[in-house]
Amino acid sequence: MLTPTPRVQVPSVAAKDEIFQVKALISHQMETGLRHDPQGEVIPRKIINKFACRYNDIVVFGVDLHEAMAANPYIEFYLRATESGRLEFIWEEDGGQTYALTHQLTVG
Amino acid sequence: MAAETKTASITRRAVLTAAAAAGAGFAGGVFTSSADASDSDDGVAIVRQLTRKTPVESDRVHLVMPSKFPNGYTVPLSLEIDSPMTEADHVRQVRVFAPRNPLIEVARFHFVPQRSESRVSTRIRLAEPQYVLAVAEMNDGALLMTKTWVEVATNGCA
Repeated sequence: MLTPTPRVQVPSVAAKDEIFQVKALISHQMETGLRHDPQGEVIPRKIINKFACRYNDIVVFGVDLHEAMAANPYIEFYLRATESGRLEFIWEEDGGQTYALTHQLTVG
Repeated sequence: MAAETKTASITRRAVLTAAAAAGAGFAGGVFTSSADASDSDDGVAIVRQLTRKTPVESDRVHLVMPSKFPNGYTVPLSLEIDSPMTEADHVRQVRVFAPRNPLIEVARFHFVPQRSESRVSTRIRLAEPQYVLAVAEMNDGALLMTKTWVEVATNGCA
């Protein structure tokens, strides 16, 4: 399997109290655990099971993902620009591996 | 038809095995109730079974999905709940269920008052044509729900 690659699309500048859009995607097969290999063995589940967005270390949005989330899970959500700082995006995979990205936001 | 039945039973077994392996009591409950829940298109009854609370159908919950979609692997879903998202009146979380999927729960979105809008878009898998349910839990504990019919041409869960 290819290494999961996270990507986000977020503005770098926002006005105070502006609502801004975040697009977050991670390339990931999202193996459901429901499929079988040609020998008839169950292919073990391996999905991204959690996503969280922290804004200056405060969790401002989160998702619990289950098997029915599409491959390469894409999540579009909306945050309020409260102050300048660091946005952190964290994806958690079955087995405990995490993938993260950070983004600097300037609120003027 | 026979092949279809066989696939369904293998899937069910895999599901039960996974539930046992996870050893999660609550998850196990959800899995075992799936057979009953999927036999009915009554959204309120399904949600009551999954959450042990009675939801009310509400026009504050907007679930937008295509009524017909060619494949079940990546069906667009948009959700919006009418809410001021203040400390006194906000959406805590929204759960999405696909009762005719082998595993009913699709996702749970957590919102934070003053910080995030109660609005999200994503893409999900659907095994067959069905009602997709969205259940919003408000800060006072009330469950508001809506459902929308989605027709898919191929099984996105196989």
